[in-house]
Amino acid sequence: MRGVLRGLVSTATRTTVVDLEAGLEHLSRGTARHVDTLLLIAEPYFKSLEAAQRSFALAQDLGIGRISMVANKIRTPRDEQTVREFASRHAAQIAGVIPYDPAVVEADERGTAVIDQRPDATSVAAIRRLADELLSTAS
Amino acid sequence: MKIAVGGKGGSGKTTVAGTLARVLAERGHRVVAMDDDSNPNLAMTLGVPPGEASSLPSIPRDWLEERPDDEGGTRLELKVPAEEFIDRFGVSAGPNLTLLVMGQPNHGGSG
Repeated sequence: MRGVLRGLVSTATRTTVVDLEAGLEHLSRGTARHVDTLLLIAEPYFKSLEAAQRSFALAQDLGIGRISMVANKIRTPRDEQTVREFASRHAAQIAGVIPYDPAVVEADERGTAVIDQRPDATSVAAIRRLADELLSTAS
Repeated sequence: MKIAVGGKGGSGKTTVAGTLARVLAERGHRVVAMDDDSNPNLAMTLGVPPGEASSLPSIPRDWLEERPDDEGGTRLELKVPAEEFIDRFGVSAGPNLTLLVMGQPNHGGSG
């Protein structure tokens, strides 16, 4: 399906959001090569940040135009600071900061979408701001 | 805009991808959300009821052709326009929003 997905991403005329396979090897196989924006979701702990950083380097090699980190499951100002410092050390942009949100856990447990279950949830509000950021800086 | 969302398993990437697709659709963009994870859960975060989001049926052979890939082998590629493919195989996830579940292996003869 690799070639099919690549073709879809590169020739679709509508706005496209691809939920990638977890892990790094997927990037190198080139599916992500045809996107203009790569969002790397990182949690505020070392292993997650390291993984995001390795993906970041790989994506740069692929020539993806905009590569940004999104900090997720942020519980404290210190969590946010951890991600921001890491990003700044690696010259990575942060496109969004999403708080840890029990509404996401609850929606997962119920098998529903958090945006339907709790449209006013803090995580949903943060993803709305992420959308604003992406749209305002779209190439 | 063409956005890919990546991250470690458990990072919340699917929640971000699904919710972001919903928000973009709400704002009037025509959006296709593609699930390329081998454990496809994007449907849930988009609000598509379980059972409606089956993965792709077999793609008609005449929609595909073999082309050489970068590693000296061949791979199946799409012959029809992406928009036609999305209209045929996409699942509606509400106004302006279509879901394609790609991640299942063994479709169309390639992994």
